[in-house]
Amino acid sequence: MSESEYAIEVENLNIYYGNNHVIKSINLKIPQKTVFAIMGPSGCGKSTMLRSFNRLLDLNKNVRVNGSVHLFGRDIYTGDMDSVEVRREVGMVFQYPNPFPHLSIYNNIALGLKMNKLVKSDKELDERIEWALKKAGLWEEVKHRLNDYPSGLSGGQRQRLVIARVIAMKPKVIMMDEPTANIDPVGSKKIEDLIFELKKDYTIVLVTHNPAQAARVSDYVAFIYLGELVEAGETGKIFTAPESKLTEKYLTGKLV
Amino acid sequence: MSTLKKFGRFDRFDFLTYPAVLFVFLLFTWMLAVYVTSSIPAFQREGWNVYFTNVWNASECPDKEYYGILAAIWGSLYTSTIALLVALPLSISYSIFVVDYAPKRLKGILEITSDIMAGLPTIIYGIWGAFFLVPFLKEWVMMPVYNYLSFIPIFSQKPVSGFSFFSAGVLLGIMITPFVSAVVREAYTTIPHTYREAAYSLGLTRYEATKILIGYVKPAMISGTILGFGRAIGETVAVSLVVGNAFNLSADPFSPGYTISSLIATQYGNSFIYTHMTSVLYAAGLFLFLVGLFITLLGMYVLRRWKKNVSI
Ligand SMILES: Nc1ncnc2c1ncn2[C@@H]1O[C@H](COP(=O)(O)OP(=O)(O)O)[C@@H](O)[C@H]1O
Ligand SMILES: [Mg+2]
Repeated sequence: MSESEYAIEVENLNIYYGNNHVIKSINLKIPQKTVFAIMGPSGCGKSTMLRSFNRLLDLNKNVRVNGSVHLFGRDIYTGDMDSVEVRREVGMVFQYPNPFPHLSIYNNIALGLKMNKLVKSDKELDERIEWALKKAGLWEEVKHRLNDYPSGLSGGQRQRLVIARVIAMKPKVIMMDEPTANIDPVGSKKIEDLIFELKKDYTIVLVTHNPAQAARVSDYVAFIYLGELVEAGETGKIFTAPESKLTEKYLTGKLV
Repeated sequence: MSTLKKFGRFDRFDFLTYPAVLFVFLLFTWMLAVYVTSSIPAFQREGWNVYFTNVWNASECPDKEYYGILAAIWGSLYTSTIALLVALPLSISYSIFVVDYAPKRLKGILEITSDIMAGLPTIIYGIWGAFFLVPFLKEWVMMPVYNYLSFIPIFSQKPVSGFSFFSAGVLLGIMITPFVSAVVREAYTTIPHTYREAAYSLGLTRYEATKILIGYVKPAMISGTILGFGRAIGETVAVSLVVGNAFNLSADPFSPGYTISSLIATQYGNSFIYTHMTSVLYAAGLFLFLVGLFITLLGMYVLRRWKKNVSI
């Protein structure tokens, strides 16, 4: 099996909630180590599509996924990979910062590492957690209170804790579903800077309903409207010379 | 602040509910006062010995009367603890099955069943317990344990009738399971979906994710447990039928005993014959009253602290 040059390849993807067809025949190629933004108005299916990339949709029994999603050339929906392996390699940051409130800062990060046996000793665990917190730019703020619960952290800090939790697993892809939607502007700026930093090592798929954010941080962008892919390409090109009238309308705020 | 008030109008519901609230509150204080005042003679006569000795001298001659309910207190704690040991694993696995694993239709049936179980009159459990559960436990649990484990001191006596702390504990456990599992189930279903997603997105298996999510609702489960304990310790009718009704301070779970409530229920009829017994039964009731109050408050406190901690 040849390793693909794309982190994620989506072919003829269709997703249904019961009879509700929410993702319609989408084809998409996401190159490695870039920031790939998926933008579109609220309700157009961004979160749904993202959750098909790590098989999180499997949790919902009413969902049907047709078509294929390849992760570095491997089909994630056929016998090739199981869902646990997929999720280990495709980390996810959510719209709502969701560190586990009943686990300490330390244990929030340790959880995935321990359960997946990604570290061999307590020392390695400590080191990995410190490394991840540093990468997420949170170490200085929490190093003295690793055993505290996340309830004392601000929204932005919680979201960076979630990012640290993901980075610690050393996934190949990091998906973020509107990661700054519930964060104040200062916290949002930090997270955007972080995304910029992380793309050196990871492929980042960023869902946003804010075109300005896509313009600021992404290399590629796909515009989705009512479950269909309108167009995708390099960010610079889409923002300066979109092919579709629909994209142009969206970018100029004329589409709600 | 209601908008109506701003315009100087009464909120009629506020206004109409005051008497009811006042009535309930007065009833509570009144009951507590009756229990306290009626127990005073027993305390004056015997002091704390009412609670800390194990004697039951009901005598025609008032001077020789002497009572201490320690065995019943012991029995209440012992049977309630056994009840929890039975109810907790049952409730947790039942809830997880109903919420996570059961197909939709079965889920509805199971939920209705446990609601019905919760509402059954306790005498129904009592009769079933006395005629079916006790002989069953004696044959299939007590005798085998005695046969194989009698080298352990608390199992060294041969079970006689089967009416015992253990039978009462198991029956109570079965009786409180619908309540405890309702609390556990509610807590478990109210876990925000985002934590479920977080757990699975970290590559956890279903079992591991479930374990973490149970950890999240653990305090709610603890408070459900505490409330279940309160229910178990207060339950009367069914327990009186299976506990054996004997003054017994033994740790042997298969020996007969009393609980505070079964003591009151079975001795109440005699209390008119004797001079000092009524006050002692009030003192026993007061103990139960205070324990119940304490347990309920503790359960509510744990739940509230948890809600504050995990609120986001
Ligand atoms: N769990 C669900 N069950 C049923 N329908 C859903 C569910 N989640 C989302 N949908 C529907 O799918 C469509 C796309 O939703 P979503 O993917 O959340 O959009 P976006 O993230 O772009 O706002 C919406 O019409 C929404 O109502
Ligand atoms: Mg969304």
